[in-house]
Amino acid sequence: MFERRLYHHVDWGLLIAVLLLCAMGLAQIYSATGGWTTTLQTQLYGILLGLVALVVCLSVDYRSVADKSHFIYIGVGGLLVYVLFFGAVRGGARRWIDLGIFNIQPSEFAKVALALVLAKFFGESRRGSVTRVDLAVAAALTAVPLVVIAQQPDLGTAATLLPVAFAVVYVAGMPVRLLGALTLLGLLAVPIVWQFALQDYQRERIATFMDPAQDARGAGYQQIQARITVGSGGLWGKGFREGTQGQLRFLPVAHNDFIFSVLAEEQGFAGVIVALGLYLFVILRSVESARLAKDRLGAYLVVGVLASFAFQVIYNVTMSAGLAPVKGLTLPLMSYGGSSMVATLAGFGLMLNVRMRRFTN
Amino acid sequence: MALTEDRRRMAMRLMVLQASVVVAFAALAVSFWFLQIVQHTQYEEMAENNHQRTLALRAPRGVLFDRNGRVLVENRHSFNVSIVREHTKDLDRTIRLLAGVGGLDADVVRQIVARHRHEPTYRPIVVIEDASLSQVAAIMARRLDFELPDVVVEQVPTRQYPIDALAAHVFGYVGEASETQIGNGIRSGSIIGQSGVERVYNDLLMGEDGARRVVVNSVGREIRTEAEVPPKEGRRVQLTIDYDLQKAAEDGFRHAGFNGSAVILDPRNGEVLSLVSLPAYDPNDFAAGIDSATWASLNNDQLKPLQNRAIQGRYSPGSTFKLVVATAALEEGLVTPDYKVYCGGSATFFGRNFLCHLKGGHGVIDMRHAIEKSCNVYFYTLGNMLGVDRLHKWAETLGLVGKTGIDLPNEQESLVPSTEWKMRRFGEKWYAGETISVAIGQGQVSVTPVSLGVMMATIANGGTRVIPHIVRAVDEGGGWKMATPPAVAEHAAFRPQTLSALHDGLWMVVNAAGTGGRARIPGRDVAGKTGTAQVISIQGRQAARGSGLDLRDHGWFVFFAPKDDPEIAGVIFGEHSEHGYLGAPIARHVIETYFAKKEGSPLPVLVPTPAPAPPEADPDTAPVEIGPAIAAAPRAAAGPGTN
Repeated sequence: MFERRLYHHVDWGLLIAVLLLCAMGLAQIYSATGGWTTTLQTQLYGILLGLVALVVCLSVDYRSVADKSHFIYIGVGGLLVYVLFFGAVRGGARRWIDLGIFNIQPSEFAKVALALVLAKFFGESRRGSVTRVDLAVAAALTAVPLVVIAQQPDLGTAATLLPVAFAVVYVAGMPVRLLGALTLLGLLAVPIVWQFALQDYQRERIATFMDPAQDARGAGYQQIQARITVGSGGLWGKGFREGTQGQLRFLPVAHNDFIFSVLAEEQGFAGVIVALGLYLFVILRSVESARLAKDRLGAYLVVGVLASFAFQVIYNVTMSAGLAPVKGLTLPLMSYGGSSMVATLAGFGLMLNVRMRRFTN
Repeated sequence: MALTEDRRRMAMRLMVLQASVVVAFAALAVSFWFLQIVQHTQYEEMAENNHQRTLALRAPRGVLFDRNGRVLVENRHSFNVSIVREHTKDLDRTIRLLAGVGGLDADVVRQIVARHRHEPTYRPIVVIEDASLSQVAAIMARRLDFELPDVVVEQVPTRQYPIDALAAHVFGYVGEASETQIGNGIRSGSIIGQSGVERVYNDLLMGEDGARRVVVNSVGREIRTEAEVPPKEGRRVQLTIDYDLQKAAEDGFRHAGFNGSAVILDPRNGEVLSLVSLPAYDPNDFAAGIDSATWASLNNDQLKPLQNRAIQGRYSPGSTFKLVVATAALEEGLVTPDYKVYCGGSATFFGRNFLCHLKGGHGVIDMRHAIEKSCNVYFYTLGNMLGVDRLHKWAETLGLVGKTGIDLPNEQESLVPSTEWKMRRFGEKWYAGETISVAIGQGQVSVTPVSLGVMMATIANGGTRVIPHIVRAVDEGGGWKMATPPAVAEHAAFRPQTLSALHDGLWMVVNAAGTGGRARIPGRDVAGKTGTAQVISIQGRQAARGSGLDLRDHGWFVFFAPKDDPEIAGVIFGEHSEHGYLGAPIARHVIETYFAKKEGSPLPVLVPTPAPAPPEADPDTAPVEIGPAIAAAPRAAAGPGTN
């Protein structure tokens, strides 16, 4: 199933950029957690496991994977529902399945599963454009995992499903009029969501974002500290493991949500540009794969997987600079987190897969 | 065709997505550039404020030595417990917890914090000064548990004064700078001298606080020290006080059983060898911040322990003022020491009868014997000849007018009336009859003990009015440097016959038939004079009976020794001691100690007397009341001649 000539069509540049980002993440986790810690080891295992997943996702033709996508979708959906009732609770949220040795966070896999099922749904459609029925189906497919994840509660991860759906639908040819109407509807929904769908703490976070100083000790604290962390880094940074903000724990979860802030502090603007450059390269290179894809299925698959990735990168980096409300959204490839790493690398396996098989039938 | 159309549209839409991503990344890069390059300095400073704390290191105050190099006041280590509000999430919780752990009243802590609420939050607010070891241990344990991350325990140098409140009023006390004292190197929370030498020489003694910059983590725990400027200890200061003489004088009072004041001077240069004011306060109570209860009790105490009687108490000098009269009469050339007056027990001036204390009178008496016997009539007569203005003038020469200029704060002015003074003060002319009572140190005359000490030094040294001073040498870093003594206030060389008459008379008070026999030391030729300061007139005494106030008279004993070439002079003021001669044993003990020390022999020891001696007849306390009640007495007309 893995033909030798396919090997030459693997996008080695993309893979190397991905691995470089993983390495940068490892270095910052090393710095933030203070050496050869279990956190670092777990991350390393996550990367190795992710690479295995990447190879697996690369080896099987994405079309056969997409054929099974409804099973994957239903499987992940089952896990999400399972988590809702039997998941391990940490920090007030029920997000994990405790397997003893490690924990699985099914919501991370939901993104890939959704990308697969949407890609298959629109890829097999022969109509050439998106009808309202299609749109309704896509919305339903997205809404189910979104609502379940939001119940955990994990609004951040739930939100990353939206770009997946939007990107796929958009690329699949949704009329611009409809897109405009949807955007308008979304804007109108904001006050309703604010009033009824958000929890108090979520409203507070957003309010704090608007004016961090009003609660400099509480919710605004992280945002102010994030800006201080980034700003104090300067052009060349304070040096590896020399960052005072991260090292002295003024900024919480420096190895996780705020890993990019610490990178900015220790490696400076120079390090930021390198990391942003790598992410941009990875994203543009992947969009290229979509363009080159042999079929619409492949293109949609790449776009779907890439959408959540790009959204998460942009949001996390913005938040790292204290320019967006603090959400529990990790930075893919760099932040600590095994499930996220495995899911992300598996997603890259699928994208590489599409590019690699662009000449096969 | 549909397919290629489809593909083209897809490619376009992919381009749109691509462009959006590029725009987003560009925006991010610009944002980071703005934060990290443009606003870098500002955030760098914020980051530093975040993790660096500057802790003040309090400088130990300069050590005080006595004239022989004996340490009088030094510093010990104590612990201060403070709240640093910068790290406080819930101030009320911290206060409650701290009050519970430290055994304090939470409301008191709240008040302390409220008083400092306008200061920068990084500055520690001292909540417990001189914390006990058990308080420190309890608080440190909670700190380690992260329960009180905003509480710091600092070791600070604290003033340590001698036991028994020795020389308390000389040293004064220290305290936190009040709002009005802030500025000129004194910051809020600085410990500065508030009284005594501590206050007058605060600039020398205070030293310079140091600082330690430490790196702390987000819960306020110190990680490491970044930089340290060690505190500079205050200058060492040597006082003119002699520890043994100070102790001898205070022991003397304790032995005698009354309060009062003593000022012992070196008449040759004005150095203060001993300065006593009793009752005293314990300066140690102030060293680590005085609690309000102690402060209130010191302030409300009827015995006024905070008052430095030596320079702030003003009393009528009584018979000791006769020395001013004698000096004035001799120096003005009105009389010679051989001038004789007949004392028949009273004399009439301006139609009023003035009594001598000896009812039968002293008979014909010359100046030496008038001093010896403290004959009132003799000095009424001289006073009448001199007039109040000349008394005032010579009182000033002897140091009894205004301040002596001693280097201690809040000295009160001594007062000897004059015609000009009465006009200024009351807008009335002086009546010559008033001069008579002034001549025996009554009426409007009121002087401080230290001014009488200066008077004795001036008489002892032959007319040089020295300014009493307390600092002998200062170590400004390069070893001891003698302090420049204050200039002499006035140099009036008395005539030899003036001096011999005064010195002889004073010697006879102690060594012949006078009232100062209790100060006699064989071979030391002590010269002295007793006196009584009326607390209240006889009529007043009737009125105030039952008021509970102590209305007993004060007793004076002024002295110098030896008679020729005096080395030590001074004054003993016995508060409500009734008799001046009761101060003489105190002077005797001081003088004995002085000579024993000088000659290297063992210091004298006071042996407690089992029972107080029966009171002797005291010429100074006999009524010398002026007024119709006495003027109407049968002896009223029996005035002796006064020429």
